[in-house]
Amino acid sequence: MDRATRKSLHQGDVTMHPEYEYRYDGHQGKVPGAQTGIEIRKTICSICNPLSHCGVDAYVKDGVVVKVEGSKENPHSGGTLCSKGNANRQYIYHKDRIRTPLVRKGDRESGHFIPISWNDALDLIAKRFLKIKEESGPESVVFYAGFPKWMRPFLKRLAHSFGSPNYCTESSTCFRASFMGAALNYGAMGPGDVARSKCLLVWSSNPFYSNTNLARGILDARERGLKIIDVGPLITPLTAHADIHLRIRPGTSGALALSIANVIIEEGLYDHDFVQNYTLGFEEYREYVAQFTPGVAEEITGVPAAKIIEAARLYATTKPACMMTSASPTTHHTNGLQNHRAIVALVGLTGNYDVAGGNLVVPPAYLYQQSPGLVTREPEFEQSRKWEQMAPRIGQAQHPAWCRLVPEAQAMQLPFDIQSGKPYPIRAMLGFGLNYRMWPGQDFMEASLKKLDFLVDVDIFMTDTAKLADVVLPACTSFERSELKFYPQQYVIWTKPVIRPLWESRSDAEIIFDLARRLVPDDGLMQKGYEACIDWMLEPTKLTLEELKKHPAGYTVTGAKAPPFQKYKKNGFATPSKKMEFTSTILAETGYDPLPIYKEPKLSPRSAPEVAKEFPLILTTGSRLPMFIHSRTFRLDWTRSLRPDPLLDMNPKDAHERGIAQEDWVRLSTPRNSIKVKANLTEIVPPGVVSMYHDYPEASVNLLVEPDYRDPISGFPGFKSLLCEVKKLMEGNV
Amino acid sequence: MNTPQLGFSFDLSRCSGCMACMSACFDQNDMPGNGSTFRHVSRIETGTYPSVSIRYVSLACMHCGDAPCVAVCPNRALSKRPDNGIVEVNKDLCIGCHACATACPFGAPQFPEGSFMRKCDFCVARVTQGLEPACARTCPTKALGFGPIEKLTEDKAKAASVKIVSSFNPNLAALGVGLTKP
Repeated sequence: MDRATRKSLHQGDVTMHPEYEYRYDGHQGKVPGAQTGIEIRKTICSICNPLSHCGVDAYVKDGVVVKVEGSKENPHSGGTLCSKGNANRQYIYHKDRIRTPLVRKGDRESGHFIPISWNDALDLIAKRFLKIKEESGPESVVFYAGFPKWMRPFLKRLAHSFGSPNYCTESSTCFRASFMGAALNYGAMGPGDVARSKCLLVWSSNPFYSNTNLARGILDARERGLKIIDVGPLITPLTAHADIHLRIRPGTSGALALSIANVIIEEGLYDHDFVQNYTLGFEEYREYVAQFTPGVAEEITGVPAAKIIEAARLYATTKPACMMTSASPTTHHTNGLQNHRAIVALVGLTGNYDVAGGNLVVPPAYLYQQSPGLVTREPEFEQSRKWEQMAPRIGQAQHPAWCRLVPEAQAMQLPFDIQSGKPYPIRAMLGFGLNYRMWPGQDFMEASLKKLDFLVDVDIFMTDTAKLADVVLPACTSFERSELKFYPQQYVIWTKPVIRPLWESRSDAEIIFDLARRLVPDDGLMQKGYEACIDWMLEPTKLTLEELKKHPAGYTVTGAKAPPFQKYKKNGFATPSKKMEFTSTILAETGYDPLPIYKEPKLSPRSAPEVAKEFPLILTTGSRLPMFIHSRTFRLDWTRSLRPDPLLDMNPKDAHERGIAQEDWVRLSTPRNSIKVKANLTEIVPPGVVSMYHDYPEASVNLLVEPDYRDPISGFPGFKSLLCEVKKLMEGNV
Repeated sequence: MNTPQLGFSFDLSRCSGCMACMSACFDQNDMPGNGSTFRHVSRIETGTYPSVSIRYVSLACMHCGDAPCVAVCPNRALSKRPDNGIVEVNKDLCIGCHACATACPFGAPQFPEGSFMRKCDFCVARVTQGLEPACARTCPTKALGFGPIEKLTEDKAKAASVKIVSSFNPNLAALGVGLTKP
């Protein structure tokens, strides 16, 4: 292709920095080899969550990535990449990347920064943090990790060694509530063993857009005859493969789960041995679920009673059966945690807990990812100081059950504590990938960040949150750093940078260890550096970095033995009673109902009929789209062009009633606020429900949610069920 | 058939509409990201609540056996490669008249720069080196495939036979037993 053509092809392309724009030669097709000078180097994609992180073949020419492709050596991703992964070049070489450390000049509204050297930046941060520690105590400094998650163990250790209990993460809105639900019932519960299962109960999860490698496994299992029950208000790509779809009204999962339990118990389909010998509180549970007959549940959930009965029988009588939930759809409700407990109780009730083809209990190897038989010392590494030796955590008073189970502070409470100064002042924060749009009522979080004495943000791009910081540090991408990664296939990789860090960016780990030298000189292990800490964590696996470095394309561990099944028979459950708890001891002790009770979402047509008069539609937010992962790929043309406008999914029936046509501009309102979006008429959503993706910079739906619209137990926001109205915008208002 | 005709295979039941094929194509071909694309993914909805079916279809140039674009091109800019049947465009001959776009039933021809036509070239430079087209390689659900048409047809028939047999005896399917050649 000639240069003139290329130039015209790139008209309107503003994503990539021109310095790294690749000169494409169509005839050679970027085929690697001596002729093209393209070499393949191995890395991983870390744009999305740690359960994916597909293996990447980076095609590198003259030190620049010219193409990416899935790595076939990676048994998890098997040579595939998703729509986000294929856009890695626009991510790496984006023009918005932060080039140097920056220090703010002027007030927070000015957005004016000047470059500063790394040494000066790190010295400045250390000086301010140590001064604040001296004046107000170490707890006044908050350490926060957003996306990606790979730096978490090091950041948590830095926080605790510094003396602050206030290490918190994006997990304050993601996964941890589902984890809590399972932990309250069982101590721990792992994902479904799909490959060996005969029936899969998918409870509001869409792995096709959140974990494509898992989705591929489900399709393969389906072709072998796996039965599938799909639960959720939306139609996902999975729905077409389901034998039964239970299309609930958002927020009513708990009622459906209790009704399924009702059918299973009434018909005697439960596992009598398990219930009799290994559970606590079954009689109270049985009594409670008695009121959730299929008829009652039909009224609450909108799912026909006959379908509930059919699904209950299929799940309870097909052995083994497994359950798949997701990180947050079941728990982003004001009764989310209890709903989730009611859902996962079905696993034990049917005898599918920790059996082949059921839901296994395998401890994570490293960073949330399991690799059966391999477990690192990550938890011991992270927690360098006992909780008792530190001040109470943010959220300790409001969310005691969280603090019993989750070794982090509850970040959803953070803006309230900054604003109130209670129980102690929060004065400074070190954030990695911090995004105030993640908080319900994001403007409240934004205003709270502005109140801090000192805010440091580490990020790849100059985000709206980074613009509020006093010091901004440039991080690099996964292509520019070394990191440890485990996969479920007992495959492990220590990546080598495939390109040098761009501009003056550095790996998050390097930044943390440089700060550790200045902030926690007494932490002997951290002073030994990043690789020494990795080796320390790896110790129980018998793996070493020295060995892993010999395998740049990764390494499959042989001889690691997966843990046995039904471990509870020998060890009991990791709950206070050592039994599976239908009635939770921890919830009773922390002042909540021990049963997995059902409550309506605080804003639903049934619970708030007065509000529903003006706001009759149910708003559900944050359901995954394939090309976005939270806010991380909005700025890439290759992903953004796949869904350029902020689209509100709306059923054609609701749209027609409001005179709304496809792609009309509409106003989406809740009692709190409103945003301007475009209507997307689709049967993906049922009538009465609209669905909006979160985090669009120009139409952020979290503005519409009150900061305290949260589950009291977990602290999770009720993002997935509230009330709203949609009105067509007239010409003049557009 | 002496010279194989290459083609894409597409399994409608496995496509999730994730558009990984589109972004892989963007990356392979350095596309501008302004909406111009050689591959399209469409959502097809049938029925209304509560009886709805939603499917996704991924389409690019089909490299048709009897390609209408080749037939209508007034300047013979389009041709079928004799060795593999890939429909190629010669940019030096293309006059940008859009006749091919009018004739193509799949919307394959694109005019991203407003002058000559560009479309999917089956990643011919990769394929002739034994690599897969970028879209087929990346497909997370393995809905997209490629190969000589004859082989794709045979594979499809085989898969259908397995389904028929397993409908009589599910255990055969569970064991991975199908109609394979004796």
